[in-house]
Amino acid sequence: MVKISVLQHDPSAHLPVRPGDPTPISRNLNPLMHPFSRARERTRALNAAKMDRMFAKPFVASLEGHIDAVEVLCRRPGSLTDMASGSWDGGIILHNLSTRKQILKVPQAHKGKASGLCFSPDGERLLSCGVDRNVKLWAVGGDNASTSTPLNVFPGKAAFNSIDHHRTEPLFATASNTVQIWDETKSAPVSNLTFPTSTETINSVRFNMSESSVLASIGSDRTFTLYDIRTGKAERRVVMQMQSNAISWSPTFPTTILLASEDHNLYTFDIRHLESPTQIYKAHVAAVMSCDWSPTGLEFVSGGWDRTVRIWQEGRGRAPEVYHTKRMQRVTSSIFSADARFVLSGSDDGNVRIWKAKASEKLGVITARERAAIEYRNTLKERWRVDSEVDRVARFVIFVVPCHRVFLHDVISSTRHLPKSVHQTAKLKTTMLEARRVKDERRRKHSRLGESKPKPERKKVVIAEQT
Amino acid sequence: MDSLIARADAIQPYKKRKTSHIPAKSGPSKPKKSDQTSNSVAKHTKVPKSLQDTHELPEDGYKHIANKKLRTHLNRQSARGARAQALVEDAEMLLMDDAGGMQVESEMDRTWRVGQTEIVQSTGQEAAKGRREYKLDSGPYRSRYTRNGRHLAIVGRTGHVSTFDWQTGTVHAELQLQETCRDITFLQDQSFFAVAQKKYVFIYDRDGVEIHCLKAHIEPTRLEFLPYHWLLATIGNPGYLKYQDTSTGQLLIEHRTKLGACNAMTQNLHNAVIHLGHQNGCVTLWTPNLPHPAVQLLAHLGPVVSVSVDPSQGGRYMATAGRDGTVKVWDCRNWKGAVREWTVRGGGDPELDWSARGYLSVASSGTVNVYNPPSIHTPFNAKTAPPLYMTHPIPHRPLTSVRFAPFQDILTVGHAAGLSSVLVPGSGEPNFDSREADPFENTKARGEREVKSLLDKIQPDLITLDPEMVGNLAPPSKLTVTTFDGKPAVEVPYARLPRIERLRVSGKIDETEDNSGDEGGVNGEEGKKLSKEEREKRKTRGKGKSLKRYLRKQRKNVIDPAAVAIRAKLEKQKEEKKRAAAAAVAESGENKKPSALDRFKRTK
Repeated sequence: MVKISVLQHDPSAHLPVRPGDPTPISRNLNPLMHPFSRARERTRALNAAKMDRMFAKPFVASLEGHIDAVEVLCRRPGSLTDMASGSWDGGIILHNLSTRKQILKVPQAHKGKASGLCFSPDGERLLSCGVDRNVKLWAVGGDNASTSTPLNVFPGKAAFNSIDHHRTEPLFATASNTVQIWDETKSAPVSNLTFPTSTETINSVRFNMSESSVLASIGSDRTFTLYDIRTGKAERRVVMQMQSNAISWSPTFPTTILLASEDHNLYTFDIRHLESPTQIYKAHVAAVMSCDWSPTGLEFVSGGWDRTVRIWQEGRGRAPEVYHTKRMQRVTSSIFSADARFVLSGSDDGNVRIWKAKASEKLGVITARERAAIEYRNTLKERWRVDSEVDRVARFVIFVVPCHRVFLHDVISSTRHLPKSVHQTAKLKTTMLEARRVKDERRRKHSRLGESKPKPERKKVVIAEQT
Repeated sequence: MDSLIARADAIQPYKKRKTSHIPAKSGPSKPKKSDQTSNSVAKHTKVPKSLQDTHELPEDGYKHIANKKLRTHLNRQSARGARAQALVEDAEMLLMDDAGGMQVESEMDRTWRVGQTEIVQSTGQEAAKGRREYKLDSGPYRSRYTRNGRHLAIVGRTGHVSTFDWQTGTVHAELQLQETCRDITFLQDQSFFAVAQKKYVFIYDRDGVEIHCLKAHIEPTRLEFLPYHWLLATIGNPGYLKYQDTSTGQLLIEHRTKLGACNAMTQNLHNAVIHLGHQNGCVTLWTPNLPHPAVQLLAHLGPVVSVSVDPSQGGRYMATAGRDGTVKVWDCRNWKGAVREWTVRGGGDPELDWSARGYLSVASSGTVNVYNPPSIHTPFNAKTAPPLYMTHPIPHRPLTSVRFAPFQDILTVGHAAGLSSVLVPGSGEPNFDSREADPFENTKARGEREVKSLLDKIQPDLITLDPEMVGNLAPPSKLTVTTFDGKPAVEVPYARLPRIERLRVSGKIDETEDNSGDEGGVNGEEGKKLSKEEREKRKTRGKGKSLKRYLRKQRKNVIDPAAVAIRAKLEKQKEEKKRAAAAAVAESGENKKPSALDRFKRTK
């Protein structure tokens, strides 16, 4: 006897039970059932990379209102949409990003430039400082947002450059020729913080967000100083090669601080090891004027004198995302939005521009299926990044100069279109750096063996660390 | 600042944290291994990076990598791969259907004794629908199934073309072309099909409306459609293999086979290589990007009439049939001789087809024989047929085509009086994948699949013998780095190097003679500049000795035992001389007082 069984598919298992039901899906994961799975996946990755570039339209909107350069931007705590900007014309505007309307506009808040802005922790009050030697406290919460007179005015002795509010206490710090700590209820500064030997002008002050008594400042004498307001002393000072223009504390790593330097670079420091930066971020071709961390702590934005806004990955010192437009002038201020999806830049032309943090991200409602597809595409891109064709579409660097040092590549022009001036400057800068490197190497070659060692880039940054 | 942070009870300074970990590490704790359960859970209970325990990652395979970031990345990747692999193994439980088959219960039973009537009686009504006879009178027929096995296209030699859903019996198109038609194939699905007609290839849509006439394909005999590349490959009497891209309409490339008219063609489903069988007994394997066959082998002593590739083993085996009546099974990884070969009874042109589970059907003279897998793949020296699995006589000669239906236990045989579908239990893959081919898909799903597969279309350049080539590391360079007499290093293929360089690269060069030769060369070079007297003065003595002359005249790149022996002898003599000299010096110098002038003595 022979036992016979013939394959038959049960239609009821493979057809929808009722009309309108989804058709049942059956899977067989045997690799022989999926020929060319790798090649097909590569095609999908290539398509994903291409789609990414096709939909890369980062510019969202421009907010007008200032008649001079936008000096400072700051976001309102606890709000995804509200953001204040201060300008060289002395005006302050409180914007709503979703409606793109001005909640509050004070055209002449300060005489001269409004140099600093910060919100109180509850977001109800706005502090502004200016070169007219005044700090002004504005009520911006709720109904009385229409006031054109400040709640309080704190007169100072010198022009203020920056202001920052304490995370919890009603204290704020200002930067002029010294760092001063103020109480919101008192009209004179509570204390003066200064490094014993310094004669600098302070450019910027920032409170640490988790260690809220720690304060960082940068000064015009190329220094970066850490203070503690409990001891009332400057704890540590670092003298660098070039002056810094902006600082920002990392929101997720309390010991990490980001400096935007005049020498075209950004530096992250671990404040426990101030002898060298943890990472150098090189791509700008002119001084970096502003920087701000994303609330996730994984990215940060910087705006530069070279008229570009760049978005960096934390720990990746090259090839940032570059944003620019024809009419955008020197970028003097830049911040991330509180949901890390947008980047705001204020520039010399008096406009505040809204950009997407991910250039090809879709705005608006995204369905679950769409979300899954986006995530799949991102994974594919990540996985096939090593494929030359996928990389060619996705990468930033168009050609690699045959040179031994990797860090020089990023300065070279990218596949992204850059303004001609930026492109030319980048080329020039590469040439100069390369020449310098070659010269150093030749010098080393012709000096006695071991006499001059090449100094690592990171060790060059800090000149002295003082306590 | 350290004191400040410590007092504020914040994050410990980096150094302190490190030291606290060291004693824990030096203890007897074992390195944790990757845990499958934790890996599967980890996917859904992801903790923030700052809270993750980095020690949980398996750090076995990548210890040699110094870059910590890269090492972590690779570890994570391998953990993810292991997890995916485990999930795939789990997913086998979800396969719903079981394969069919015939099993003998006693020693004396044979499966081939079971006839179609018996099979039909013993199966259910739904499965029995597969046994059919199509009686048609337009000459010998050829057939082709869609990839999901639902639709069948048939073509008669005299021009009858029909496509239909064989399960429901819905006829899509019925054409009387009234000219010779040699082959038919569906394109991506049932909505288009191509017919190899008398002069050209024509493409029709589902309803039988002529869409295209491909005038570049002259007198076609066989058609193949590569579904993942969207290529229609044709071969004809002129002997040109042509690839037409059906998504862009462009004639991709044409290869001149130089082997004349061709009547046998098949594709390897797993690497999209086209196999052609020629009149002179050759079988050639073609890819679009090579102007010559990737493989050419002399398979038969007469014309090759049929070729088929086994889809069950990943395209590893190929079967060929010749007009001489032999069938051969080849291993595509090793072309040295057939795995097994046998002669079919009755002669005629045997037709071959391999099913998805590796059942080989051979149709010749008046019967269809089916052989089952393990025996046809095992090497066998004697030229006897493998044990028969099933046989079915068909009285309508000639039998011109055999096709297994995908995902069914059905074999469709085309012959002079139409077609007959035969049940072959166990031949069909029981579990289909809806993402690849679904017999039960509706029109909407068909449309979606078409769009998706167009998006996933693979570029024709990627067709190679090894389908896993994509995404692999490039093989190491075959060039050899070498320096030519002080010039900077260049990369040259090993075969292009001069013999001496080749010996040097492979480490087989006779270095000793080279050195002696070098010495002479240096002397000679310097000799040009020196004056005659100088040369006379510095002339190497003892160069004319017969042994040395002999050695000098030896070829430098050959290790000759005689030369080696002589060299050893000379060395020995040299040593002895040296020793003797040393002894003489010692004897003479023993009595002498050491003098301050000794330092100016010439050292030997």
